[in-house]
Amino acid sequence: MKVVIVGNGIAGNEVALHLREHGPRADDIDITILSAERFPEYDPCSLPYFVGGEVDRDAVFRKSPDYYRNSRINLVLDNKAVSIDPEAREVKTEKGDVFGYDSLVLAHGGSLFIPPIPGIDLDGVFSCKVLAEADRLAGHRGSRAVVIGSGAIGIEAAEALKLKGYQVAIIELLDWIMPTLFCEGASCFLADEMRRYGIEVYTSEKVLAIEGKSSVKSVKTDKREIPCDTVVVATGVVPGRPLAETAGIACERGILVNDRMLTSAADIYACGDCVQTFDAVSGEDCMYQLKHNAIEQARIAARNILGEDARYRGAYPFARAHYFDTHAVTFGKTLKGLEKICRPEQVGVIERDTEQGYLRLLLKDGKIAGGQAIGAFADHAGLFMGFMWRGVDMNEFKKNWRKIGELDSVFPWQYRKIGQVLGFSALDAPDGMEKARV
Amino acid sequence: MALKEERVIVIDPGKCAGCHSCEMACAMKHFGVCHPYYSRIRIQEFRNVNTFVPITCQACEDAACIKVCPMNARIRLGSGAVVTDEDKCIGCRACVYACPFGAPVIHPDTGKTMSCDLCMDDELGPWCVKACTMQQALKFVDVRDAARAKGRDFAAMLKEQHEPPHQEETEFSFSFSVE
Ligand SMILES: Cc1cc2nc3c(=O)[nH]c(=O)nc-3n(C[C@H](O)[C@H](O)[C@H](O)COP(=O)(O)OP(=O)(O)OC[C@H]3O[C@@H](n4cnc5c(N)ncnc54)[C@H](O)[C@@H]3O)c2cc1C
Ligand code: SF4
Ligand code: SF4
Repeated sequence: MKVVIVGNGIAGNEVALHLREHGPRADDIDITILSAERFPEYDPCSLPYFVGGEVDRDAVFRKSPDYYRNSRINLVLDNKAVSIDPEAREVKTEKGDVFGYDSLVLAHGGSLFIPPIPGIDLDGVFSCKVLAEADRLAGHRGSRAVVIGSGAIGIEAAEALKLKGYQVAIIELLDWIMPTLFCEGASCFLADEMRRYGIEVYTSEKVLAIEGKSSVKSVKTDKREIPCDTVVVATGVVPGRPLAETAGIACERGILVNDRMLTSAADIYACGDCVQTFDAVSGEDCMYQLKHNAIEQARIAARNILGEDARYRGAYPFARAHYFDTHAVTFGKTLKGLEKICRPEQVGVIERDTEQGYLRLLLKDGKIAGGQAIGAFADHAGLFMGFMWRGVDMNEFKKNWRKIGELDSVFPWQYRKIGQVLGFSALDAPDGMEKARV
Repeated sequence: MALKEERVIVIDPGKCAGCHSCEMACAMKHFGVCHPYYSRIRIQEFRNVNTFVPITCQACEDAACIKVCPMNARIRLGSGAVVTDEDKCIGCRACVYACPFGAPVIHPDTGKTMSCDLCMDDELGPWCVKACTMQQALKFVDVRDAARAKGRDFAAMLKEQHEPPHQEETEFSFSFSVE
């Protein structure tokens, strides 16, 4: 069997690893990975920490060149796939090479969304999406930076530059930072924290132009002009649809796949940032471009290639926001996200704001559909996600919580713990919170 | 050594008296200090019902912590234990948040995470287990041992949480808030 994987990223490598580890012992799978870049697999998530000097460049790599050799994976570097012929079962690359396949996996992620702003191609404008860009940014010597876009990547880039001694401003078009990850309250708190660390945060502000003759001199918004010598563009990732479209594969926002990660074309699978799938809890169409989803999707694709009938349980948002001493987490739906999929009377909110931190749980029909936590409450995110998966009715839970206490059993301790965390019992709460974790 | 590699720590929370000896032993073993903040095993206390639950990394098969770590610092050792590579960890706590039990512990000085390594470098085995000889709430047993089955139940019960959601529809509306 011949498997060709397009993309040497998180998803592509997970497919290859799974095929090698779980494939037939006889070892008859011929694996080829086509890579647009020049490097063995690295983790995009770790790039901001390399840029900020928190870890060495070596730390970003997940694989060494030896790994591919030892695993008998044919890694084709610096040779982008440009078209697919599903009839002939062939992939063509930009250098004119042709690779035949029995199964094809599209795991080529997405590319940086480049906003149509004048001056976007000036010297001193960077991104942090791929290693080559991160290398340029890490090597750049500037003193004043403007980060455009306040998603998780923008926030991490801002922290990295601040750590390097830059004066940093971050600009967000929408009303609050990390708008898809956090509700307004948590986001405003996180923005204030950023300001406390000396990062300027501007929301509801539109970048009109990047000014300068050959290199960046300033960023002009609808409210101000910020002098700077460095700009980082972090305005989102667009899924890599064009390649799939050369094969006539159905796409909407991303490449469409079924719950076996199969596209509309025979024997062509897709996984990772390039696909559009469904939400594990609500079932709605979604594109959460996150690492854990890429890994889980890749495993499903690999298992189906191996002939198993493996079904995907759906994607879920889960992200941390961490900079300096601030620690926050978000999972599932935000209030805005929830309002899009249900009636107002279906929505509920549980909120706690104490000295130890902040917690907000979003409920749909009484069941946890998402949550955000800052400080000590964040450490219990795993328990709340467990409740979300199980569909625990929080009204029932609150009613019955006392009875759980009367049961002479240690189980389920998670129920007890959540009752504690939500402050159901005054007896339990004070020292029940975690130690040394604020 | 070969035998050791097939052993696991099995927890029987019903027997835990909440004495915190395991925490002291762990902190002593790894950092030479007798302080629970430095321990990789933690006791969840429910004092009003006199219940204590030792929590330590279960080295899950499909470990959430490994999948969410941006630095790929959560690694599985040959022994099966899942630990943090301190050189790579940036202390972001994604692993703590994603873990169904919040098992990774934050080192109070470095801010990086740590979790049970089964004291693999010690012939005597895990110190926490030694510290719990009286109560026997912690046991270090051969995977083939019958007690393993019990441990499995416990782990399975904990892991069940990460199963896909129930699909039944509820048709009522509500409002709910906590004081
Ligand atoms: C700075 C940054 C921080 C992030 N932080 C987090 C985080 O903390 N947590 C989290 O869950 N997620 C995070 N993400 C998102 C996460 O990195 C992605 O979800 C994940 O990498 C997706 O994996 P993938 O394999 O689909 O895509 P990628 O890992 O992007 O891999 C795709 C690969 O395909 C290659 N390619 C593209 N087109 C072609 C072609 N035509 N032919 C051949 N090769 C091609 C690309 O060069 C790339 O190497 C972050 C992303 C970035 C950029
Ligand atoms: S830290 Fe948690 S998720 Fe990771 S292996 Fe241990 S118990 Fe499992
Ligand atoms: S705290 Fe360290 S080990 Fe845990 S997810 Fe973050 S980098 Fe990885």
